[in-house]
Amino acid sequence: MAKYYKITCSLLLIAGLIGGCKKDLPVDEDGLLITQRAECYVGNFELLGTDFVTVRSKTAVIDTTALTINVEVFFGTDLKNVYPQFSLATDCKLDPKIVGKVDLSDLSNPKTYTVISGNRLVKKPYKIIVKYQ
Amino acid sequence: MSKTATMRKLNNSRHFLFFLLLLSFAACKKEEYAIPDPVSELSNDCIKRTLGPNIVTLPIEFAYAMALPKAKGKLVSAQVEASIAGAAGTFLENRSFYTKSNGADTGITIGSPSVNDGKITKVTYTVDTSAATLRYFYVIPEEARGLSVSFTFSATSSDGKTASFKMGPYAISKMHMVKNMAVSNNNNAYISIENMAVYNSTTAVANAGKIDLVYLYRATPTAFTHALVSPAADPVYLPGVTLPAGVNRSAKVNKVFNLQDRNLANLQYGIYIDDKDFQEINLQTAPNYALGLKAEAGVWVETTDGKYRAYIFVNSVNANGSAVISMLRYTL
Repeated sequence: MAKYYKITCSLLLIAGLIGGCKKDLPVDEDGLLITQRAECYVGNFELLGTDFVTVRSKTAVIDTTALTINVEVFFGTDLKNVYPQFSLATDCKLDPKIVGKVDLSDLSNPKTYTVISGNRLVKKPYKIIVKYQ
Repeated sequence: MSKTATMRKLNNSRHFLFFLLLLSFAACKKEEYAIPDPVSELSNDCIKRTLGPNIVTLPIEFAYAMALPKAKGKLVSAQVEASIAGAAGTFLENRSFYTKSNGADTGITIGSPSVNDGKITKVTYTVDTSAATLRYFYVIPEEARGLSVSFTFSATSSDGKTASFKMGPYAISKMHMVKNMAVSNNNNAYISIENMAVYNSTTAVANAGKIDLVYLYRATPTAFTHALVSPAADPVYLPGVTLPAGVNRSAKVNKVFNLQDRNLANLQYGIYIDDKDFQEINLQTAPNYALGLKAEAGVWVETTDGKYRAYIFVNSVNANGSAVISMLRYTL
């Protein structure tokens, strides 16, 4: 009986050691998991006004080759205070981060947001080109 | 160690575990509700029934309950003393309310109508009763604006005892409120935050220096519809508008949706705008116009002289180019 008990304990100990020595998955400077994924694109784009209602007059056109997002907004939209929303490929992140209202009013100098892949090796800068209805 | 001794030790452990198990069951036993001791003398209690900011001209409602054992006597009077005398319309109910099984509040007259004497509102009982709950409606006076007010509720009984209950202090809002102002395209279109009023092109001239916004409706472009635009905004947002002489101010305007203040929305919804909202909102980068307003949308406004902030709520809109708006204004 004691023999079986010892064997079981030893097996559990070995299993614990193996589990305990498992290498941690890497995380980036934001504490986000770095994965194996290399996909890097914007899937969808939304632009909200201060009332959190869309200011788009039609669906944004995302060109994943030219790396542009063309969005047409309603007449009179206050582009100094808008909230862009990006839907990214799995595990991607955006740089710079969007933490509040954004000023997109300088139409001659479109803002650029860089999408970074899950493995953090691919970086694609998307330009947001806004025009009024 | 002998086998018998080992067995005995094992049995002792089992008994101990069994005992622990029983103890844990007993410990988890639900406590039975016990009827509290009945009051032995005149007692009282009070709750505040109204929620949200305390705005001048609106009432604050309380429910004041008082009781004593029947053998000790009956209630003689009830009164409330406010730290600042209430405005006209302040009263203490002379009916005691109870809730019927269908949920309806039902009042039974217990005394003569209340009498206001300065800060004191009093009801004298005319029926033989030893328990009652009276509602108190304190209409907030102009003198209390920006201050705080507190209340002392008290009751007396026929055995000479007095019970009292203090409520507050409650901060009184600095906000002013005006509800249901009709605005219409090319007519009553000129809005003054300072005066909290709407003018037409003729009367606006006399208040030109106080006009902050112009209401207009344009069916095209489709995003325009109902709009509140500063007189000094880009003329592209004032198509076809000829401003009255001297109307040239620019206000910061921030459009919002789903902010239906309960007071402005005629007691719908459970959202309240309070002084703190006006103190904290940042309108520095806000434009001087808001287009595409719908019913139940609103705008935060800051006047060009920085004297006032306001929230204008759109109660309703009509496609013929008119709307009903309500306003809360805060003096900075």
